[in-house]
Amino acid sequence: MTVSPAGSSVPRIEGPLKVSGIATYTSDFNFPGLLYAVPVCATIGSGTIAGLDTSVAGSMPGVQAVYHRANIGRIYRSAPDEGLGTHLDERRPPFEDDVIRYYGQYVAAAVADTYEQAIAAANAVKVTYDAKEPDVRDQLEPEGQPNLDGERGDPDAAFDSAPVKIDQTYSTPVETHNPIELHASVAVWDGQDFTLYETTQGVVNHRDVAAEMLGVPKERVRVISRFLGSGFGGKLFPWPHSFIAAAAARDLNRPVKLVVSRDMMFQNVGHRPRTQQRIRLGAGSDGKLVALMHDSLNHTSILDDYQENCSEATPYSYSTPNFRATSGLARRNVGTPTSMRGPGAVPGLYALESAMDELAIALGIDPVELRLRNEPNKDEGLDLPFSSRHLVECLAVGAKRFGWSGRDPRVGSMRKNGLILGWGVAGCSWIAERFAAQVAVDLRDDGSARVATATQDIGTGTYTVLANVVSEKTGIPANKIEVVLGDTNLPPGPISGGSMVTASVIPAVSQAIESAQQRILMAAIETEGTPFYGLEADALAFSGGIVHRKNEGPERGMAFEKILAKAKARSTSGLGKAEATFGSEDRKFSQHSFGAQFAEVTWQPEIARLRVSRVVTVIDAGRIINPKPARNQIEGSVVMGVGMALLEATEYDARFGAPINNNLADYMVATNADAPQIEVTFLDYPDRVLNDMGARGVGEIGLAGIAAAITAAVYHATGVRVRNLPVRLEELLA
Amino acid sequence: MRPTEVFAPAEPPADGQSARKNQLAVTLRVNGESVALQIDPRTTLLDCLRETMRLTGTKKGCDHGQCGACTVHVNGRRVNSCLTFAVMHQGDDITTIEGLGRPGSLHPVQAAFLEHDAYQCGYCTPGQIMSAAALLEEPCGATDADVKEAMSGNICRCGAYPNIVSAIQDVRSER
Repeated sequence: MTVSPAGSSVPRIEGPLKVSGIATYTSDFNFPGLLYAVPVCATIGSGTIAGLDTSVAGSMPGVQAVYHRANIGRIYRSAPDEGLGTHLDERRPPFEDDVIRYYGQYVAAAVADTYEQAIAAANAVKVTYDAKEPDVRDQLEPEGQPNLDGERGDPDAAFDSAPVKIDQTYSTPVETHNPIELHASVAVWDGQDFTLYETTQGVVNHRDVAAEMLGVPKERVRVISRFLGSGFGGKLFPWPHSFIAAAAARDLNRPVKLVVSRDMMFQNVGHRPRTQQRIRLGAGSDGKLVALMHDSLNHTSILDDYQENCSEATPYSYSTPNFRATSGLARRNVGTPTSMRGPGAVPGLYALESAMDELAIALGIDPVELRLRNEPNKDEGLDLPFSSRHLVECLAVGAKRFGWSGRDPRVGSMRKNGLILGWGVAGCSWIAERFAAQVAVDLRDDGSARVATATQDIGTGTYTVLANVVSEKTGIPANKIEVVLGDTNLPPGPISGGSMVTASVIPAVSQAIESAQQRILMAAIETEGTPFYGLEADALAFSGGIVHRKNEGPERGMAFEKILAKAKARSTSGLGKAEATFGSEDRKFSQHSFGAQFAEVTWQPEIARLRVSRVVTVIDAGRIINPKPARNQIEGSVVMGVGMALLEATEYDARFGAPINNNLADYMVATNADAPQIEVTFLDYPDRVLNDMGARGVGEIGLAGIAAAITAAVYHATGVRVRNLPVRLEELLA
Repeated sequence: MRPTEVFAPAEPPADGQSARKNQLAVTLRVNGESVALQIDPRTTLLDCLRETMRLTGTKKGCDHGQCGACTVHVNGRRVNSCLTFAVMHQGDDITTIEGLGRPGSLHPVQAAFLEHDAYQCGYCTPGQIMSAAALLEEPCGATDADVKEAMSGNICRCGAYPNIVSAIQDVRSER
């Protein structure tokens, strides 16, 4: 028997479907009578609709309807809920009023028999506006008093009297998620029930929100997302296009497909907001921090309060007796921001870790050594011990693998093959928490298992990791385990966010398997013809798929599928339920993952060519269930980090509020040729506070710290400290 | 996991009155089979494959020739199918991911992508694989840097580039 338990690098179980084009993503669904919807977007950034003329569009070939405020029908608001329950970031339903608050806001939608007809009709809708000048300024100032997010000691006094000080402001631009899969909805209405095929990182939440906004009971909405062409946070929560498609499908009694175009994805489906962060560090000449202050601002939309939470990782990163974090919002005429991979910590650690690098230079202390000197022995923000923190080892291992001891700290002093080298380092961290999860596991009479939960695989490997976990816990080989995800008909599972799915489902899987196995034991003692007939269930054990007496080894037992066959049962099904730790007030440990990023850049001042050539990343993320997709996650984060550091920024036109680089040629993301040589090492310290396998998630941590490591390397190579991402070549041309 | 869990109906397209107006006749040769179509001249090859022929393995990522997700082979060369109209391909030989190989009989590039975990979400993957399969016949240098350059028209936002390069180099070393 080939067992593929956790810890082995087995290929993804859904891989054959992905490499052959069979995997079905949202916009691949097609139904008889399908219609195509194309939205009409506002061409101003602020103002009101003065006139909307659909007479030409409505009479064009194939057009079934042109929807707008007056004829879309009622789309309700979803009332606020606790935490991330029933959540969406852009709360205003589409077409709710005639006020335009950001460029690209949907004002109408054409629905036609073919896609080409729908585009032509959408282009023929005539909209006039009373326009005002939009506010899309980069410079942020807080609206009202900033929030106090955390404080200890007397940071102002300690900073004022500190022998060495850093006081700098760092900013990060609007970043757009840009998953290659376009957001899409395919809405099917059968006269009573909606089936919504959605590009979502959370089928259950999407179902709950959609039911409330469409004004129907939850039971009347089914949301399906079998495969997601990644999301990076942009598909965590529903966006207005989904309700346009659903409302049109109900009104026309036909299936409706709406695919959001790439340019609309810069407007209508969220972005990481611009952040502006002042960091103040006060240190003694020994390098020990005496004060740390992190004051952050982010922009948000006119109607919604999106908090980026930049100081999320700051209170526990370093030991300091005096600390304060504040945050504030600045309102702009932009679409509503949303979570983007590592929200809060990723821009926050860019600022904090950049300041630490500047402090190391001011002190004349090696930046690795500076971090070691400020290593805390507990989470000083929460006053709790860490469940598992091995940042020191991450730095030590990374320094060794990178060759850090060969670093000459003088700017521009290192060369290789005629190029100037720059080396930089940064720490990284991300939360390690669980959402509530329910999982069903069926053990079947052919020796196979089925595991089902309404979470989804967004590319991180959830299908495979669930098979690995069930395989380890049952002894059933991974290729005999069917994993079913992405459907609200399944037991409710978590959103794919916060790097929490793996950790969240493990306890529920364990419980479901125990429950299914217990029923097999009961079948064993109640079924004539099994060697266990008439025994007590507690005299039996389950090992590697074999039922046997506790006082004997499994070699004298019977395979579970044979017991099921003798009992004439197809399967036993167990349901597991696990509670959330995320948002819990009652905690005994501070739970986070940690890591170290080491980056090398090459700089050719003669031709102004800057490249990231090499990255060494060491990650402390508990036990790694399947190293293959886990490594891929970290490598992919580093590649995205190259984009964050050097390439990515959404730019707004001050006159109309339009994102002017709204395409993949002008908004640059890292291509294959931009990817550096990447070496990933996982430390293997299971965090059993989180779950019985000690596994955390790895989807986000690799993007934390990488931009700071790269900009530190850029400083080392060029002498230019970039505090406003991304690094632009013109800033390096002094 | 079985493909049967993935519902992909294959009914013929909606055939409303309006869909027949202003259409042109074209015969495409797709994955070795000739297909006679009446098609809107505005229809891109990509939308023709996906929405008319229901060959949804070819993906739309930008509709502007900037991401490479829609890469197919036209007469053996890789082409962004979003940048060309279907009616321009009378008699052309078009190969999509569906024609390259299926589970059980994967093309070597598909098998290498599986083995090397050369994807995450899988959405750009058909385009990456079609580009890579075409690259095998192109005058591409031997180094990783050459492959990276030749594959930079295909964006993988998940950033699986290191594994994409190793998968392609693995196939090239076998030839």
